[in-house]
Amino acid sequence: MNPIAEARKQRRGALDEQSGKALLAQFGVAVPKSATVNGADGVEQALKSLELPVVVKIMSPDILHKSDAGGVKVNLKSAQEVKDAIAAMAASPAIRGVRIDGYLVEEMAAPGQEIVIGGLRDAQFGPMVMVGLGGIFVEVLADVSFRICPITRPDALEMLAELKGAAILKGARGTKPVSQEAIVDVLLKVGGENGLLMQHASDIREADINPLIVNESGAIAVDARFILG
Amino acid sequence: MAMSPNKIIEAYMPLFAPRTVAVVGASSKGGALPNIFIRRIREFGYSGEIYPIHPAADEIDGLPAYKSLADTPKPVDYAYIAISAAQIAGMLATANGRVRFAQVVSSGFGEVEEGVTLQDELAAAARAGGMRLLGPNCLGIYTPRGRVTFTEIGPQEIGNAGIISQSGGLGTDIIRRGFSRGLTFSGLVTVGNCADITPSDLLEFYFADTQTRVIGMYIETAKDGRRLFEILRAAKASKPVVILKGGRTAQGLAAAVSHTGSLAGDDRAWVALSRQTGCVLVDTLDQFIDTLLIFQTLTPQPQHPTQRVALFGNGGGTSVLATDYFARLGLNVTPFEKTTIDALAALRLPPGTSITNPVDCPVGTLQQQEGRVAEKILDIIYGSAKPEALVMHLNMSAFVGRTKPEVLDNLVQAALRVQEHYPGLAHFLLVLRSDGDPSLEERKREFRAKAVALGVPVYDEMSNAGSALAALQAHEQFLHSRSG
Repeated sequence: MNPIAEARKQRRGALDEQSGKALLAQFGVAVPKSATVNGADGVEQALKSLELPVVVKIMSPDILHKSDAGGVKVNLKSAQEVKDAIAAMAASPAIRGVRIDGYLVEEMAAPGQEIVIGGLRDAQFGPMVMVGLGGIFVEVLADVSFRICPITRPDALEMLAELKGAAILKGARGTKPVSQEAIVDVLLKVGGENGLLMQHASDIREADINPLIVNESGAIAVDARFILG
Repeated sequence: MAMSPNKIIEAYMPLFAPRTVAVVGASSKGGALPNIFIRRIREFGYSGEIYPIHPAADEIDGLPAYKSLADTPKPVDYAYIAISAAQIAGMLATANGRVRFAQVVSSGFGEVEEGVTLQDELAAAARAGGMRLLGPNCLGIYTPRGRVTFTEIGPQEIGNAGIISQSGGLGTDIIRRGFSRGLTFSGLVTVGNCADITPSDLLEFYFADTQTRVIGMYIETAKDGRRLFEILRAAKASKPVVILKGGRTAQGLAAAVSHTGSLAGDDRAWVALSRQTGCVLVDTLDQFIDTLLIFQTLTPQPQHPTQRVALFGNGGGTSVLATDYFARLGLNVTPFEKTTIDALAALRLPPGTSITNPVDCPVGTLQQQEGRVAEKILDIIYGSAKPEALVMHLNMSAFVGRTKPEVLDNLVQAALRVQEHYPGLAHFLLVLRSDGDPSLEERKREFRAKAVALGVPVYDEMSNAGSALAALQAHEQFLHSRSG
């Protein structure tokens, strides 16, 4: 299945979270193990293949920012908690009445440093890839670095070194250092020679992998958005 | 479809060294821009054939005139065209493959709404006529090896800086101001609206051209940015490329939906281009010229990228300010090791002299032995401290009324001589500071000419030298990080 062709067929301007992650997985980027349910009924079955705790996320083409709409519940430790979360979401004012494709139940990623990896198609230079540290670093301080695709390994390392918050990756303020190698690996899979952005240069207008959670051993893409066009 | 370097040279030589030039739009009464162009290239020493094209006149400026581009005795390497916009396409289409390059000065094309179609027609006519098109809306080309110029005064000397300018006026500034600072050119092309030939085409030429050692571009928009990126990436900074970018905005995508989109912007893209291809981005015309000059005169040392810089000259405050400024640029002005300091101390320089780096010598010190003391100090810095770069600075004004004129001569001579003794050991830059007094400026001009001829770049201020040196450092570091 090609998630982009599928979204085009359905005349959607963006990939939903599950399709976005499927696309990332095709390029070898780790994503959490997940299952989709239509409602509380499917929860027991879905949890058979997943490890608790899990996260539940609303799947709707009408909701751009799931968290803001109350469409994300984390750290659910039992089937009952998952069912309750789904019922509460379906009844919440921001979600009632929108198109609901289902609910994504996925394993919670181990804690780590939040990273943002992005992509866009520049009018002059074509596909570009971005990296930054998550949270206020990207949202308030705009502490990010860009490169034109395709990038090489030295490019990826320089992108990280260029961040003002680069020291945090090495374990500032008493935290453990995270695997820079894991971030470089994802950057290359997304923005490298045969990476996702190069392969789909004509389809992807913008992309956010936000967050990519990185710890000392690996990186996992916990949320992803791909805007087509 | 990448062409081999030889093919590229062959394809562009009719533009850079035309054997036949046609001029369209010259008046039989003289005085029009094309008449001025004829006079300028003759004064510049153009020795090939010049064919004025005119519908009625038999002779223009003493040269036999021809009715059309198809009627000239020999095929035309380069046609300079300045007639009304609407007439040009028809003229090019009937050139019958007899014109290699047509440069259209006339405006009224893509730069105005109503001229967009006309520009498309012009490009199509050039293709149909079998030629490459420069412009429209462009001043032209300055090429000392071909003795063709669009400017009134340009250096005759064939140099090593190859320039591409998206602005004609700025192109003139680059030639004239650059020349006065010691820059000489392998060519300068103004590209106008780029209906056919783009900056990327010329970039490919300059990379292939053995006469060109450093490439400079003034660019506002890159219509073929992808190709520009690919050429620069493939070149692996084999020649330094200095880019003066106009219109760098921090604004993100107009209708961004994602974080990434809102954080993007023209500036980010050009910074990215610079980081991954090793080209140097500069912000002002002065930096552009200063940086081109350092690459024209000094040879990058990628094995030992510039780190430690020694400063030597007169002016305590100037030394301190320069140390701070250089540090902000990532250039390291740290005190010398003890052996160097001991060797300098053994010279028994007068009190008030600082010998730790920066080496700050008041005029009273520098005038010792009529200025020859400088040579001894430089010898020790070269021989013992071995920095990657040495900036010698002289505040010329401070010598006025205190020393004999030959002291300054001797100091500059010492600088140039020592530099010759230690080829390739450290980058040597000379800063000649003056208060603008005409007689000092005149002496500076003479010193500058001598120095640049010997491969020593001369700057007006420490900050100019610093930013140029930082650009050289960035280039060296890029090559160093990408080697092996």
